[in-house]
Amino acid sequence: MTPLLQIEDLHVWFDIEDAPELHAVQGVSMSLAAGERLGLVGESGCGKTTTALAVLGLLPPTASVSGKVRLEGTDLLAQGEESVLPHRWVDIAIVFQGAMNALNPVRTIGSQIVEALELHGRATGSAARAQSANLLESVGIPGSRAERFPHELSGGMRQRAAIAMALSCDPKVLIADEPTTALDVMVQAQILELLDRLCRDFGLALILVTHDLPVVAQLCSQAAVMYAGEIVENGRVDDLYHEPRHPYTRMLFAATPDLSARHGEIASIPGAPPRLDRPLTGCPFKSRCDSAFEPCTAERPRLNAVGAEHEAACHLNDRAQASA
Amino acid sequence: MTLDHPLPAAPEQLEELSAEGLGERRTPGFIRSAILTQPAALVGLAVLFFFVFIAIFGSYLEPYSIHDKTGPVYAPPSSAHWLGTDDGGVDMLSLLIAGTRVSMEVGFAAALVAMLIGGAVGVISGFVGGIIDVVLMRITDIFLVIPDIPLMIVMAAIFGRSLKNIIIIIGIIYWTSTARLIRAQVKSVRERVYVKRARSLGATNNRLVFKHVLPQVAPLLIANTVLTVAVAIFDETALSFLGLGDPSAISLGKVIENAFERAAISSGAWWAIVPPGILVALIILSCSLIGGALEDSLNPRLRVAHLGARTFRLRPLVGRSPEAL
Amino acid sequence: MEGRADYVVKRTLFALLTAFVAVTINFLLFRALPGDAVSGLRCQHCTFQFKTALRHDLGLDKSKWEQYKIYLKQLAHGNLGLSDVSHQPVRGLLWDPLKNTLLMLTLGTVFSIVFGLLTGVVAAWRRGTWVDKGSLWTSLAFYSMPTQWLGLMIVYFVADRIGLPHGGIQSPDLGILGNPSTYDYWKDRLEHMILPALTLGLVLYGEYTLIVRSAMLETLGEDYVLTARAKGLSNFAIVRKHGLRNAMLPIVTLIALSLGFIVGGAITVEYVFDYPGIGLAIVDAIDKRDYTFLQGAFLLLTISVILFNFLADLLYFKLDPRVTT
Repeated sequence: MTPLLQIEDLHVWFDIEDAPELHAVQGVSMSLAAGERLGLVGESGCGKTTTALAVLGLLPPTASVSGKVRLEGTDLLAQGEESVLPHRWVDIAIVFQGAMNALNPVRTIGSQIVEALELHGRATGSAARAQSANLLESVGIPGSRAERFPHELSGGMRQRAAIAMALSCDPKVLIADEPTTALDVMVQAQILELLDRLCRDFGLALILVTHDLPVVAQLCSQAAVMYAGEIVENGRVDDLYHEPRHPYTRMLFAATPDLSARHGEIASIPGAPPRLDRPLTGCPFKSRCDSAFEPCTAERPRLNAVGAEHEAACHLNDRAQASA
Repeated sequence: MTLDHPLPAAPEQLEELSAEGLGERRTPGFIRSAILTQPAALVGLAVLFFFVFIAIFGSYLEPYSIHDKTGPVYAPPSSAHWLGTDDGGVDMLSLLIAGTRVSMEVGFAAALVAMLIGGAVGVISGFVGGIIDVVLMRITDIFLVIPDIPLMIVMAAIFGRSLKNIIIIIGIIYWTSTARLIRAQVKSVRERVYVKRARSLGATNNRLVFKHVLPQVAPLLIANTVLTVAVAIFDETALSFLGLGDPSAISLGKVIENAFERAAISSGAWWAIVPPGILVALIILSCSLIGGALEDSLNPRLRVAHLGARTFRLRPLVGRSPEAL
Repeated sequence: MEGRADYVVKRTLFALLTAFVAVTINFLLFRALPGDAVSGLRCQHCTFQFKTALRHDLGLDKSKWEQYKIYLKQLAHGNLGLSDVSHQPVRGLLWDPLKNTLLMLTLGTVFSIVFGLLTGVVAAWRRGTWVDKGSLWTSLAFYSMPTQWLGLMIVYFVADRIGLPHGGIQSPDLGILGNPSTYDYWKDRLEHMILPALTLGLVLYGEYTLIVRSAMLETLGEDYVLTARAKGLSNFAIVRKHGLRNAMLPIVTLIALSLGFIVGGAITVEYVFDYPGIGLAIVDAIDKRDYTFLQGAFLLLTISVILFNFLADLLYFKLDPRVTT
């Protein structure tokens, strides 16, 4: 069965001043089946947002890309912007961070949903306006709010409106980039519930980009952990939690504050991620790893299978396998 | 008015890179680096230095005295007079050099006046706040409403046409925008500084805080002053043209006026008309470039430009190499 | 929504208050002159007694406060006093020059706004390409040129080539063969207006292109532009519906504000082209020490600045749904 979305060896570079290039995404490969929910996890700066944006070709002119993004077999990036444009919104839609100014402040939210409907021929005129109101209702916003401007809505409602807009053209895949960041906890829960319900009701595949592990645990069945522009571990969320096969994954989960624990110790990972405007040697995590050993200095670990549907890029696994 | 700013990098990584590199601190090298990284500003600086040089050493460079008739009336450029002569037989090149000096003097002096008044008002208003702030800002608002050139014309007519008066008049009109700008900056700096001092000493020493506030404000003040020089020279040229300049000090504006009054057009004497204007335009242009570049650097736009003439580029497949990269 | 109505009320009150202050300053400015209109009179019968009597007639021997009250009362009746030179009502004397200036200014500003918008948008959209760089440098060049010098250049190099007059507002031979038809009359007027309007328009074009480009660049880096792109909109649609629509906010405001000060530029242009507008009238009045006329003209200019500022506030309010205070 062909996966719905398949990312093959994606690289993204950015031109920056004072340095040759920033290698933001370094050979990412992922696959997503229809209706599947994948969490893309990592610290800020690890390249997860860039990866998500690259799927839709939403990169600035300073970017260059290599690799393939296959939607039902067709490579979206084959001719760059030209080949990906027809698939935007109708096949893959995206919801951005709540803190962003993702909705145009001088136009009503209704009109912005209508814009999507009319652009892709789903409805026009009053039919479009009616459908726009329906969409808002389906995410829990009274249809009358369609005449409001974004600044008149609370953060949570803006996110809901953005989600409604994203679903307006029946996409197959929804990308949610940090959808709950900058929202307060109660609202976060509501948004997550909403996403859960909508994905189920419409059979949507979901890529959830976030640095927040509990969110992934709640919503996704699969997860991919990114570090320094590459995927260091991916597999089922349960496997990652109970049997992490990469020190970074393990430390990430350990660093997550567990509200049920008695002691409020928050373990954080010391150090900082490496700069991606210089070439890397060895394992990118070596400076912060607590189990680094001899091969980590010079040799970059490859993403290898370490179980059923479970891959990790760490020399520790290779050593374990070798000695098995 | 802002100029170009180089396109930045990936959204996430950029925050980290800039936190390492640029930071919030305005070090003295900041101005230098701001100019050196922007070619337009470099060109502007080079041109401005050239004019400053002429202004300072011009009198040694003038081939002839500007007070003597040394050639025929409205003579075209020749080997004796590189830029010809004006209607009084005076060498144009010498006139231009002398005129540059006067124009630059007035421009810089007026901008200095505006900077001193505007800077002082801005710092006091932003720092002290309260009723003084309100009063000063109301006064500024009122000044801003009065049309600049008409006011200058009227004041020049009333108070006489000396160089000193022109300088003061121009300075008085333009301190207001400087004041506003500085006030906004001082207010934001003040928050930051107070937080620091509150933590360390507990007691605030105004003198010491001045030492913290002023250095933070200085780059903006300098950028604004450079732009004011441009406006000041523009206005002085206009005033001289209308016959309101100092009759004894010949600025480039006066040279243009002379050409106008004394039928240079009908005499076909383009060398009396074209060069002085080009010089004024160059001075103003270079100041604008420098001031604009400085202002741009003070507001780093971390935003990625989402749209452009080109789109993102494709590269051939990289492939996973088994060896270390 | 109460917040929105509040804003309009507040801005209106502010405009009225500023107008009142402007009126007062106007009074002070012209009455604080060394020597009043009468003392400057030189004529056969201008003996001391005559001057004293005239002073009394004009009310110039009363206290400043009395004069102020009279001034305000006269203003309330739309009376701007009598010209010191021609003894005609100032209001009437202002009307014709005002019409001429307004026509010429409208021509020039429409030109500059239309082309400024076009060039600015394209430059921002095609940032970094030669189109952008070319228009940027062209705009900077025009913005830096002294207005009067540009006018002289146009007269010298262009006027004769395309058969347009060098100045004035009416050809001396118009109507020689009987009353000119309306068409001929206006055609002649237009011919006289084109060059001054073009001069002013070019300088403004430079300024407006820079404003538009800057505003568009800012807007094109906003997050909602990325959303629009993600929705599948074409670049052109994005620039039009999300870029320009949002950039119009700062653009409209800045242009409206600058319009208030345009008369300054008009003064020099009218002087060069001997165009009988308000600017030329002001210069003449200064020469002849017609202070009452100046007072009226100046008031007119100041009120127009206040008016345009107010207009800018209203436009901003209309275009931006976020404005509440």
